[in-house]
Amino acid sequence: MAAVQIADVRKTFGTTHVIRGVDVDIEDGEFVILVGPSGCGKSTLLRMIAGLESITSGEIRIGNRVVNDVPPKDRDIAMVFQNYALYPHMNVADNMAFSLKLKNAPKSEIETRINRAATILGLTELLDRYPRQLSGGQRQRVAMGRAIVRDPQVFLFDEPLSNLDAKLRVSMRAEIKDLHQRLKTTTVYVTHDQIEAMTMAEKIVVMHDGIVEQIGAPLELYDHPANLFVACFIGSPSMNVLKGRVELGEFITAGGVRLPLEKTPPSALGKPAVYGVRPEHLKLSADGVPGKVLVIEPTGSETQVVVEVDGQPITCLLRERVAIQRGDTISVRADPALVHLFDAETGKRLTD
Amino acid sequence: MNTAVPSSSDGKKDAGPRQPKKGSLRPSHWPFIIPALVVVGGVIVFPWIFTLWMSVNGWQIGVEQHFVGLTNYQRLLTDARFIDSMGRTLSYTALSVIAPLFLGTLAALIFNTKLPGRGILRGIFVMPMMATPVAIALVWTMMFHPQLGILNYLLSLVGIGPQEWVFHPATVIPSLVLVETWQWTPLVMLIVLGGLASLPAEPYESASLDGASGWQKFRFITFPMIIPFLLIATMIRTIDALKSFDIIYAITQGGPGTASETINLYLYSVAFTYYDVGYGSAIAVVFFILIIALSLLLIYLRQRTSWLLGDA
Amino acid sequence: MSLAKIFRKLGLVFAVFLIVSPALLFFIWMVSLSVKFEIDNGAYPPILIPEHFAWKNYTSVFESNNFLLYFKNSIIVTGAATLFGLIVGVPAGYGIARMNAQKSAIIIMIARMTPGLSFLIPLFLIFKGLDMLGTLWPQIIIHLVVTVPIVIWIMIGYFETTPIELEEAAMIDGANRWQIFMKVAMPIAKPGIVVSFILSVIFSWNNFVFGVVLASRETRTLPVAIYNMLSFEQVSWGPLAAAALIVTLPVLILTVAAQRQIVAGLTAGAVKGG
Ligand SMILES: Nc1ncnc2c1ncn2[C@@H]1O[C@H](COP(=O)(O)OP(=O)(O)O)[C@@H](O)[C@H]1O
Ligand SMILES: [Mg+2]
Repeated sequence: MAAVQIADVRKTFGTTHVIRGVDVDIEDGEFVILVGPSGCGKSTLLRMIAGLESITSGEIRIGNRVVNDVPPKDRDIAMVFQNYALYPHMNVADNMAFSLKLKNAPKSEIETRINRAATILGLTELLDRYPRQLSGGQRQRVAMGRAIVRDPQVFLFDEPLSNLDAKLRVSMRAEIKDLHQRLKTTTVYVTHDQIEAMTMAEKIVVMHDGIVEQIGAPLELYDHPANLFVACFIGSPSMNVLKGRVELGEFITAGGVRLPLEKTPPSALGKPAVYGVRPEHLKLSADGVPGKVLVIEPTGSETQVVVEVDGQPITCLLRERVAIQRGDTISVRADPALVHLFDAETGKRLTD
Repeated sequence: MNTAVPSSSDGKKDAGPRQPKKGSLRPSHWPFIIPALVVVGGVIVFPWIFTLWMSVNGWQIGVEQHFVGLTNYQRLLTDARFIDSMGRTLSYTALSVIAPLFLGTLAALIFNTKLPGRGILRGIFVMPMMATPVAIALVWTMMFHPQLGILNYLLSLVGIGPQEWVFHPATVIPSLVLVETWQWTPLVMLIVLGGLASLPAEPYESASLDGASGWQKFRFITFPMIIPFLLIATMIRTIDALKSFDIIYAITQGGPGTASETINLYLYSVAFTYYDVGYGSAIAVVFFILIIALSLLLIYLRQRTSWLLGDA
Repeated sequence: MSLAKIFRKLGLVFAVFLIVSPALLFFIWMVSLSVKFEIDNGAYPPILIPEHFAWKNYTSVFESNNFLLYFKNSIIVTGAATLFGLIVGVPAGYGIARMNAQKSAIIIMIARMTPGLSFLIPLFLIFKGLDMLGTLWPQIIIHLVVTVPIVIWIMIGYFETTPIELEEAAMIDGANRWQIFMKVAMPIAKPGIVVSFILSVIFSWNNFVFGVVLASRETRTLPVAIYNMLSFEQVSWGPLAAAALIVTLPVLILTVAAQRQIVAGLTAGAVKGG
């Protein structure tokens, strides 16, 4: 096991800058998730850690060793690919044994390691099968088995669950997490799915357009998003945002609606800003802001209501069951202590 | 791929001088290619260059070789036998492209239907192009025999009098084209069949809904969409027909007289019967240019139509 | 409705028969010629199935004309050229596909366009200069002009379609570039190797023009040998047809047995060749 340090790493393909200066510190044994929209450079960064892409500038260290010029095979890492990349001409056992055979490991050791991995992953019955004879979930498990047998310093996962159906994805999520608890191997995991990130990670790195937007524990990002991008990317349904300006003790939207604030950051006074509130922090309240109901979606445990405020749809997530109908006018109110304010130009967080 | 990447110079904490990067961590693939480069260089590229060089030399086997400039090429302009062979080659090629193209397309349309035993039938159908040309030529020669040949017998069954086939200057070219067509229609069929297999189903479904007849579907949907494949087939057929040697040489050796002497056969005579290597090389160069020119024309046509199939 | 369907079906069967018959009848006639005595081959109207079969046509082929020697020559030339073509061409196809250097394959397209005689003239002079003409080497070497391009061309296509992730996984698993090639890329591209093997065997076996120029009496391959039977020795048709059939039979068997692979290879080669 080892820590991974990424220091001011950049990557260009020809003239396109794909990674534009990324710093991430990953502690020994940590489970870190790189999350961000498609095309933001997550895979590229992961592949640079693996050694599959060269590093244009900056430095990557694995266990205090600079690995910029170290070929993948000498980095002591294992990687699980999105489409598993199982060798189609080898059965499950041979797929898992391949790396050990290349290292000329003794036969008995190969066998023990394969059996151990197979037991952990429930693959014992499948060792003689070929990849084409396996289901998606089983292939996924074999890919993980191939990584486990090597007992590497770092596990790298690139969207390992995105080819599975929704139900399997949820159970594999728990399984991977459980595996990490057991093995305690440093893990870097890439996904575009923020729910996956929230549920699995110890630390999340939110990326966007080749830079890191914020690094932190899942709930830290949820409660204190550093900027508008993180605020909107993390959480589902996503945060409601309204444009306007900050006055003393209140926020005035572009359409003139006044919303109370708990604190007024002095620097923001009178400036254009963005007001953000999560759907579950809105409540029905007579002294709130009136709005026309556009959509009602009860799920049983909660009710999602979309109301039109200031000409914009605002989503509320209500715990209680409500007797309202489409077209009704209701009043909603945000808890002022749970409101987020962002600079309208830079998108940076204003409160705190 | 191997571009050295300049290291960033924005003074990071570790002051030690960074060694320049070696480039990609991926292993280079050059070692895989080098043996082939040597072979291709030796047996393909070198002969091209050597031929070019010989063509500007007077070079006959047994005679001292000496530089003669473009003399060999000038000689071509007044060589009646060469000019005649050029004309013959072109007419032989035209016929040997058109007939297989037409028949091969027809065969592809038939093979594109659901047939029981399609694989075996297709295997039989492609046998002529895979069979050893000289062996084939030998049997055709027997079949062309004016007295004992089966072809004249077959003609007599439908009331046509005996022909002299490859034994008469007037009929020798069409007879050889018959063999060439028999032999190479399958290749056209395979190419067009590949094209037909790649066609989307939707246009046909919507055309059926619009009430199009079978012929209309072919004329307005199938045909436009397989044009790129027809052009590929035309190109390959053109190249192969221009180069045709085995069949002609084995059946007629260019005869009777020189009635079936194409450029390739004339080239053979000059180089390996008269051993006039310099002049033969000049013929080879002109012949090569002719092939490339016709191919480029067809590539150009193909590019103009490639939008028909996206990027085929 | 169903009557129309039956008519259409019949029409189709008839059409198929019509397009397959020239090939089928030709080879049937070839077989017929090869098992008839001279008297039957000269009969009018022609006889398809004779009363007495002339099996001796076949035995006489093997007895005379150094036929076994020529058979051996053919096997050596085709075998060596194909083997060498694979050894050189498979890695090259891999390298070209991985380096994304598909444009370099244009050389192979141009080689495909070049008339065989333009390779022959210079190489003939070299072989003559090196005094190699009495051996099989000149033919083996010049047959590389046939086999190497076929192999490279087909293998580029196969390696292009094998997913690069497999090789990346192998790289991470600790394989060096040779191990990646030998243990991952090549086993996966096995079908492509089979196709290029079959096609290069067939086209090398069939080649005539190189042998005509380069072969001496002792180094003839089969196509050259049967051509010489036709032109220099007044043999009757039966043995000639039998010899022709023996020469082309291996290829025909391969064609029918592996028609799927051959069709795949030829179509890929041809379509990409444009
Ligand atoms: N080999 C490459 N050459 C050029 N551009 C690339 C290459 N690989 C990735 N890119 C580009 O880099 C960007 C980031 O890609 P990637 O890291 O795969 O994104 P993600 O995994 O976050 O979806 C994309 O815009 C992609 O098009
Ligand atoms: Mg990705």
